Amino acid sequence: MSPIRIDELPCRQTDVAVIGGGIVGLCLAGFLAQRGRAVTLIDAGGSSASTANAGSLHVQMQSRFMRLFPQRVAGFEQQLPLYPRAVEYWREFERDIGADFEMKVSGGLMVAETPEQFEFLVTKSRRERELGLSVELLERGDLERIAPYLGPAAYGAELCANEGKLNPLRCNAQVRAWAVRLGVTIVDRCKVERLCAISPGFTLATTLGSLQARQVAVAAGPGARALMDSVGAFLPVEPEPLHMNITEAAPPLILHLVQHAERSITLKQLSTGQVVIGGGWPAKLAPGSDYPVVDPASLIGNVSLAQYMVPSLAQLQIIRTWAGLNSKVDGRGVLGEMPGLPGLHAAIPGDAGYTLGPLTARLVADLMTGRDPGVDMQPYSPMRLQEEELRALAGQ
Amino acid sequence: MTQTIPIEFEGATLRARPGETLAATLTAHGVQDFRTTASGQPRGVFCGMGVCQDCLVEVDGVANRRACMTKIEKPISVRRGAHGRPLIAPSPSAGVNVSGAFTGTDEPELREPELLVIGAGPGGLSAALFAQRAGVGVTVLDERSQAGGQYYKQLGVSEQGVLPADAQHRRGAALIDAARKAGVQIIADAPVWGAFEPKEFIATVRGRSIRFRPAACIVAAGAYERGWQVPGWTLPGVMTTGAAQTLWRTSRRLPGQRVLIAGNGPLNLQLAAELLSGGATVAAVVEAAPAPGLGSLDSLLTMGLAAPALVAEGVGYLRTVKRHGVRIVNDTVIESIEKVAGGLSVTLAHVSGATLTQRIEVDVVCLGYGFEPANELLRALGCVHDFDPRRRQLATRRDETGLTSIAGVYALGDCTGLGGAKAALAEGVVVGAAVAAALGHAPAETLMHERARAVNELARQRRFQHALWNVYASPLTAPRERCGDTVICRCEEVTFAQLDAALDEGLSTAGAIKRRTRIGMGRCQGRYCAPVLDEIVCERFGRSRDEMSGFAPRVPVKPVTIAELSGRGSGS
Repeated sequence: MSPIRIDELPCRQTDVAVIGGGIVGLCLAGFLAQRGRAVTLIDAGGSSASTANAGSLHVQMQSRFMRLFPQRVAGFEQQLPLYPRAVEYWREFERDIGADFEMKVSGGLMVAETPEQFEFLVTKSRRERELGLSVELLERGDLERIAPYLGPAAYGAELCANEGKLNPLRCNAQVRAWAVRLGVTIVDRCKVERLCAISPGFTLATTLGSLQARQVAVAAGPGARALMDSVGAFLPVEPEPLHMNITEAAPPLILHLVQHAERSITLKQLSTGQVVIGGGWPAKLAPGSDYPVVDPASLIGNVSLAQYMVPSLAQLQIIRTWAGLNSKVDGRGVLGEMPGLPGLHAAIPGDAGYTLGPLTARLVADLMTGRDPGVDMQPYSPMRLQEEELRALAGQ
Repeated sequence: MTQTIPIEFEGATLRARPGETLAATLTAHGVQDFRTTASGQPRGVFCGMGVCQDCLVEVDGVANRRACMTKIEKPISVRRGAHGRPLIAPSPSAGVNVSGAFTGTDEPELREPELLVIGAGPGGLSAALFAQRAGVGVTVLDERSQAGGQYYKQLGVSEQGVLPADAQHRRGAALIDAARKAGVQIIADAPVWGAFEPKEFIATVRGRSIRFRPAACIVAAGAYERGWQVPGWTLPGVMTTGAAQTLWRTSRRLPGQRVLIAGNGPLNLQLAAELLSGGATVAAVVEAAPAPGLGSLDSLLTMGLAAPALVAEGVGYLRTVKRHGVRIVNDTVIESIEKVAGGLSVTLAHVSGATLTQRIEVDVVCLGYGFEPANELLRALGCVHDFDPRRRQLATRRDETGLTSIAGVYALGDCTGLGGAKAALAEGVVVGAAVAAALGHAPAETLMHERARAVNELARQRRFQHALWNVYASPLTAPRERCGDTVICRCEEVTFAQLDAALDEGLSTAGAIKRRTRIGMGRCQGRYCAPVLDEIVCERFGRSRDEMSGFAPRVPVKPVTIAELSGRGSGS
């Protein structure tokens, strides 16, 4: 068989170019194809966001973000109503496309080990209820009943019933196959180097040649910043390199998505029986690149905390670790058309971007095709970033 | 008769020799089937050296212990491994704080030896010995309970009542002894599971993680055998040539009574001679290369001139094999292996593709189809590697002193691309001398003479090795049919058909196919499937293999328990 060479773009023109083949880009490309658009999706590869995701479905506010970025709490709170909807939407999406994401919505526990930590959860849960979330507080006795795997250090917890987990490897593969079935042209290992506004539409300069598109959606996570910059737009996405661990298979043990009230951790068991331990321990960026690499201090710290919380994990072997990139802006997603650049859309879901992926992709697809998203999109509009940039410039 | 140690195994009591591996005890008692996989398939000893993670059993209630790395020192209770065995509840004395807030991680102990050598095989030991004698403070780490590596494989059991140690054992023992006497600190049972930039290593020593930040390091991690992905290659009773040799050379146990040895290279002949001396029947030695004829005369002559002692050894093995009437079948490979009532039934094929009609029935099949370098630590550090198309493997880029692309990181021996044990021995002296000089030590004149001799010896050994490769050159370097239900990834039980389906979906990189199919996601970290996958993907897309085309290296390079990572183990 003669080798298949991929050294040029399969087309030079398209209705919509989607940049980024993670969960947001794949979903968005599929939705737009469903609505009759000719869609070309370009993915640089080597990204470590959706492909490195650990499969948590987050709903309650993550204590990690609140601790690390107190100035962004207002932003998180504005985005909070999207999370329960996003989890519901995952289920709906799974059904619509006839897929199996190995999704389990068996609840998420944020565990406190001291009365002070529990007090933090009391305050947090009060605020979350005001914002419409369904959460409850469990004291030691109740916690032991529903989560006997937790060790003696657990003092109490906040339970959020609509949190859960899925298998991101299966999701990525099945969503990709669905997009291909709908006619999306996927170009792998191709990097968009810059965007150029033409009228109407845009020219994309890529490593495999140039492509013209009437509309462009940037779903490139941290890569969005440079792309937007190339066309004179401001989208300050920062990469947050994070560490993850996976164990060999164990019998069913940990039902919930487990977090900690004061420390960074997510802990859950996949349908393979493997336990995935992650939740915000830092990785490093390889010098001179945007490729994240593992930091041994995070590996040791992350699994030590896991063992403290679930002591029976002690004899389980870690068989692999990896690092991935989270995309951060200001606590909220950036969804919609860039100011002054008609046809250019941002699709940056915000913190816990994988959870928000399909829903935010649908919202952006609605905006791009002139439909009513049914959600007030103003809090997520890129407009606020322009204001921020102007303020910054004025202040100089 | 020496004392034995009783081992409880699935209700029976087996008699183990003190110091042998659990894999050897079980094998000696006719047990081939050590565990079942997630899909219910039986597995047994395959690599015999701690790489493949297939001989996992439950030892005293702890699941997933490698039988081949478990040394018998006291009575133990063993069960076959099963997928997802329940976890044992931690004992209150396990050192885990019972209540209150998590107070942070215990910082692992940090050691800063002047020189850290990873691997106590011929190359690592010889480098360590030279550097120590030149005044360097050297620590050597090795995963095994005994130094010596895969070439010297030291006898672990008492010589009483078994065939005593041979010259190869004794040369190894002498080298280990010399290194110890010179002051080299050799730490055994110390798997190095992580390497981090710029040159930090973490190993598990007696249940705890220790960080090593040496001034300089030498990675001499050796090699492991390639897989031969044909139908039946995962069956219990099918093991590598090295695994069978380890059973015999360390524990004086035979892998089985009737053995077929197949592969490409001289080690298979050595194994045949050794198993014959232990009383086994060798059904045949099946060699992929043609029989040496007039065309190999030049190469044979070069070998004879470069390393007469090695040639004499080889001739000795050949004589033993011939004396026992063992057939050497050239130009032939294994096509498939099937489980039958009496053992394993093997189908052979000519390298041209024609299937041989006669099947061979044996207890054990040994596969020795060449080696892959154990370069995972070097790759994790970011050392530059080049693809060597002739040997079909990555070779570590080094200068003539063994220095890699990273300052202070040296590498030698088979982990850098194959050269053999004798070359590694000589290379150890050359690299040891370079490291000593780089660390500011001036070796005595006698040592420098030794170095000069080693330079010549290394050149001779390399000439020998090249000629040897010419003699053993085979037109067929992989099974002809890589398709269908044949397993490519042992750990995750991924088949070639699944790989083909992923390729047909348009996936074009090893990483994307890994995430799609789970190939390479298991305990062994893709040691056997990764090179095959890389080869297939690159061929399909017209790319050449390089250090970026396969999987990215991942820590831990060998599985490590959470207790060992946290330093709060139940056993320590």
